[in-house]
Amino acid sequence: MSEADVDLGPEIDPRVFDSIDFQKNPFPVYRQLRDHHPIYHDRFHNRWVLSRYWDVDGAFQDNGSYDRAMYKADGPYEFGSRHIFGPNILEYGNSDEHRRLRNIVAGQFVGQKLQDFIPMIHQISEEVIDRFIDASEVELVSQFASQVPIRVISNMLGLPREDEDMFVTWYQHLIAGLGFGGEHLMRGLNARNEMWDYIDPIIKKRSVDPGEDLLSRICTAELAGSRMSAEEIKGFVALLLAAGGDTTEKAIANMWYHLMYTRPDQMVLALENEDLWENVFTEMMRYDPVVHAQFRFTTREIEIHEDVIPERAGVILYLGAGNRDERAFDNPDTFDILRTDLHMGRENRSGRYKDGKNGHLGFGIGQHFCMGYAMARQESAIACSKLAARIKDPRPKNSTHPGISSPSIDSGGFRSPEDLWIEFNR
Amino acid sequence: MKIHIDKTKCYMSGECYYNHPEIFKMGDEGYPEVIYSDLDKNEIKQHAQEAAEVCPATALKLEL
Ligand code: HEM
Ligand code: SF4
Repeated sequence: MSEADVDLGPEIDPRVFDSIDFQKNPFPVYRQLRDHHPIYHDRFHNRWVLSRYWDVDGAFQDNGSYDRAMYKADGPYEFGSRHIFGPNILEYGNSDEHRRLRNIVAGQFVGQKLQDFIPMIHQISEEVIDRFIDASEVELVSQFASQVPIRVISNMLGLPREDEDMFVTWYQHLIAGLGFGGEHLMRGLNARNEMWDYIDPIIKKRSVDPGEDLLSRICTAELAGSRMSAEEIKGFVALLLAAGGDTTEKAIANMWYHLMYTRPDQMVLALENEDLWENVFTEMMRYDPVVHAQFRFTTREIEIHEDVIPERAGVILYLGAGNRDERAFDNPDTFDILRTDLHMGRENRSGRYKDGKNGHLGFGIGQHFCMGYAMARQESAIACSKLAARIKDPRPKNSTHPGISSPSIDSGGFRSPEDLWIEFNR
Repeated sequence: MKIHIDKTKCYMSGECYYNHPEIFKMGDEGYPEVIYSDLDKNEIKQHAQEAAEVCPATALKLEL
């Protein structure tokens, strides 16, 4: 029996969304939502919820009706995603400004630019593996998954390689601060301050003497005739760390978790055939993606499923629920890297594919479609296949695992296992 | 000016209609459709050129 097979009936107590049960296993509630409340008005949290595949897809596409930021005639924008890092592209809703900001960096993670970075991704993966290969065991999250993406980004930004370890430590404290709060928060804020002190002079230098790197590009990009302020530049860098580092880290962890604990029979296949790691990535992005929910605000009244969402209402798009919709996928609660009804190739901003199959919703769709989609896929697949090639007979160190859990949706955190121990032979 | 969309090349990446909703919209199947726009001729030309450059499939051709 899969974890989603519990039938909870039609009644939903909205406090369930704050419960530990939901964070650990949201899938039965997703099913309730899809089957009984395709549009759910959560009066307790004062918001609405969409959960079916085509409704989530439709809302992502319909930028005229669903905006990521809320415009108030008498005040500043109020944002769907507030970030302790500072202002960034996520905060510009669906405006022209957003499009301009996006275009500064969007091209840097795809096509030839990305291909140029591939050898570096290979090299960094190998170096990180070298550090633990003699131990015959690895805690995958802290020793591998959280190491590779951040080193790659640090390289893209053109930071000196000898500073990388320092950068990784700051990053890990920062992300822990975001995710767990409490004592972690103070350490996180300290790390952020140290990181800013480190990067401030580099920003100054690159602004007057730019190189070919990503940071120089961000420093010198002109928006409507003027450059970004140092604060905005740092916001951008922070966004790359969180949106590009933390997510990819968690993608790698979720891939191994589901192979080891959900489908060990298919882990064998991936270990034997390195081409299958892209399938593992794609099916993970459907079955249990890193990001399960995105916020939107309505810009007009919306009629849907014989109900009406008012203007300026908050709406949660549960892409994690849409991905498990039997209206879009057969046996949606089965993790299957050989699935034939899911588009397994590269994702599209439009979510439409020539093979006629449905894609996963894990990168969003449309205007805010993930800019790092191609990089995340390649980086995850490369890192995992490198690891698979180096470690022999990998197996879970513990026969049971407490499971993946998501932080509360309001914290904006990402879903992944806290740790993942793997034993292997050399 | 005319914009030709080569549907055999286009793989529905969506870049044209999301970056330039003033010129394109997504058709039912996912391919772009050119729409009426109140931009002046020069601006349209400029935006269309940008879209053609960005298209990852080189599926957009302009007839100036
Ligand atoms: C597996 C890893 C990743 C996942 C699961 C992921 C997920 C997402 C999702 C769901 C969105 C849409 C947000 C929305 O609709 O409001 C998004 C946007 C974004 N992602 Fe990713 N992402 C990943 C990797 C990356 C990487 C590697 C980068 C950059 C290097 C990146 C940069 C961004 C940026 C900048 C946006 C905002 C785009 C915009 O608003 O126009 N992401 N991501
Ligand atoms: S940008 Fe090119 S490939 Fe993408 S939808 Fe437009 S025409 Fe098709």
